[in-house]
Amino acid sequence: MRPFSSFVLAAAALLCGGSVAASVGEEYGWWGPGQEGSFPAVADYPNAEGTLRTLLVGAPVETADHPFFAPIGPSGRACITCHQPSDAMGLSVETIRRRWEETAGRDPLFAAVDGSNCPILPQDRRESHSLLLDHGLIRIQRPWPPRDGADRPVDPDFDIEVVRDPWGCNSGSEYGLRARQPSISVYRRPRPVANLKYLTAVGFAYDPKQGLPLPRDPETGELISGNLMADGRAGTLHGQIRDAAPTHLEFFDEMSREQRLRIIDFETRIFTAQYRHRIGGRLDDFGAQGGPDVLARSEPGQLGSIGRAVWSEFEAWENIPADAPISAEERAFKQSVARGARTFRERTFLITDSAGINSPIGFGNPVRNSCVFCHNMTMMGNDVAPGQVDLGTTNLPFADPAPHLPLFRITCRRDPHPHYGRVILTHDPGYALTTGRCADVGKITLQSMRGLSARAPYFANGSATDLRAVVDYYDRRYDIRYTEQEKQDLVNLMSVL
Amino acid sequence: MTRASALAALAALASAGAAEAQSVRFVACPIYRDTDAGRKSGCWLADEAASGIRYDVSRSPTQPDWNFEILIEGEPADEPDTACGGRVLHPVRVSVLPGACTRHMLPAEGHPGRRFVLPPRNVRPLSEARPPLEGPATTRTFHILFDFNRAFLVYQLSDYLFDQAITYIRSADPRRIVVTGHAATRPTLVSGRELAEDPAIAEARASLIREALVRMGVPEDRIVVRTRTEADIVAAEGADGLAEPSRRRVDILVEVAGTQEQARRPGGGAPSRPAGQ
Repeated sequence: MRPFSSFVLAAAALLCGGSVAASVGEEYGWWGPGQEGSFPAVADYPNAEGTLRTLLVGAPVETADHPFFAPIGPSGRACITCHQPSDAMGLSVETIRRRWEETAGRDPLFAAVDGSNCPILPQDRRESHSLLLDHGLIRIQRPWPPRDGADRPVDPDFDIEVVRDPWGCNSGSEYGLRARQPSISVYRRPRPVANLKYLTAVGFAYDPKQGLPLPRDPETGELISGNLMADGRAGTLHGQIRDAAPTHLEFFDEMSREQRLRIIDFETRIFTAQYRHRIGGRLDDFGAQGGPDVLARSEPGQLGSIGRAVWSEFEAWENIPADAPISAEERAFKQSVARGARTFRERTFLITDSAGINSPIGFGNPVRNSCVFCHNMTMMGNDVAPGQVDLGTTNLPFADPAPHLPLFRITCRRDPHPHYGRVILTHDPGYALTTGRCADVGKITLQSMRGLSARAPYFANGSATDLRAVVDYYDRRYDIRYTEQEKQDLVNLMSVL
Repeated sequence: MTRASALAALAALASAGAAEAQSVRFVACPIYRDTDAGRKSGCWLADEAASGIRYDVSRSPTQPDWNFEILIEGEPADEPDTACGGRVLHPVRVSVLPGACTRHMLPAEGHPGRRFVLPPRNVRPLSEARPPLEGPATTRTFHILFDFNRAFLVYQLSDYLFDQAITYIRSADPRRIVVTGHAATRPTLVSGRELAEDPAIAEARASLIREALVRMGVPEDRIVVRTRTEADIVAAEGADGLAEPSRRRVDILVEVAGTQEQARRPGGGAPSRPAGQ
């Protein structure tokens, strides 16, 4: 698995005018912090479902001393550590395990600060890093009481207690609610740093979930999309870097504006998507428009229901000519993908008790709709509006059993939660750790659906080990009763995004 | 509100097609009928206890939550009840109340429901240019409407109304904007219970609209905020001739230097008295 195709990479780079340093990329595509070279303009990375392609548009990027690639903090970490090109600029659990095996757990990825279940645990033991190794989860330490996206203190309308703390990071004397600086530790998957023009795009001026116009970036005055981070704690790329540097990189100096701009310049020029499928072959033939090229060229922020339909890139595969020179197996797969796209858009079901959908907007509870109700941005499948929604992945009783995760009891002080009542049990309060509102407990920002085959597991807490598990979760949660064919079509669709 | 202005507002409502005597206003637990004619096609029904009539309230901008009581305010429409299986209210407003309800869902039972149609009051994407202001800017009042005891921009109603206001403000370059939050605090008897809004909701609504204006780029020092309880009835475009919902609002008075308040209001309603005076 994951042999790094230097030939493909080099050939593609030559075609696109880029260059590839001999040291770039190890055998399976790991790009280590401090690794010097010219980031390839085009690079292909095999994965279990086929091939992922990453494009860097515009001028070449030299990685030497580049703040995205350089280990600027003491741990040896860099942004690239958790945002690997081979993993769609995210990080798969497969890559994590491989790094553990190859470095005997000494890779900076496993830094005590967030690459272990808790820094107080013995760091030389695998079980101290089990959340990362088994579920792909990084520890996120949020202040308590909460601080909002502008780092201002928030007076929460709920109390939080620790019900279960399997790793000691929420109830000990050093970390947790009783520590000198009280905090909540939750565990989340790294989000992909690619296709970012879609995640920062603002399609409409209003956030229907908040009943207000979008907030503005105080630095630029521009409207903020609200789609960058799981809990919305930073609304801009500058804010995200400011949040990540002292936490994930342990870099406590103020990163200069020039450094941040260099990181953002790189991040906003990276596009990635699955490019080939092991059965379906090329994803941009017979009229389809899979792969990252169309992403780089298209206008972001479009609402699929009033413009180009979501995943209509694969619509042409509904009518592949009978005499097309492809195998029966490839044809069947491509037709399955096209059906999956239609199922995604058109197979409706009753959505119930999901804050951000059924409240407080006024869509109704229940409301009949399809996947595309929330995954509505053309080409990307994130929400055009700020995507803070509670699917139940972190809140009981909807969340899958997760004895490896902490469990918190939330008690709403004023109005009860519209769907859970006064008391909520959650593995991760999500957006509520930024807003301080009990109505936001368990809301997690929707993310891009691109490059999924390269970055399992899924959902912010890694609870879905594969794409079938994603479909199965929704099927259980909303009692959809997909047929086996519909499930497989959806899996096939997601595998080629 | 003076008697004269109240009469003028009611006259305007009547002229706008509102037959106040026919309106219904009641509290009930909602019933969801799972018709499946595509997205957002389910039906919402509510039984009025006093009359025993089952109403179809599906056309409200705010849809019910089957866990909570709803306040229904609407006008019976002259159309068959076949779509959902209830007497159609249109226009109609639903407000979700805190009282608990037992969930109840009916099957389609042969009712087709209604295919979703994008309502005319929908905010357009930023990529679409707003129509330019026709003629010179004048002082105007915009009414932003709310659900009962809520301070939240109703999707595809009050967000649209606010968008109209901010579009005008951007063209008019006003010297001052007076934001007046209203609360319908005078108790009324509905389904055997007294309903009245919390006086604090007036300030919450005004604060929300002030924040919304600032987020849309209006300088803070041009905004004056006022509140008012015992709200009066106005001829507001978004109320569609319904009297009681028009009390639950924020008035945005856009004062343009050297002009009188425009005689003709957005949506064609009669002039209303400048808010908060």
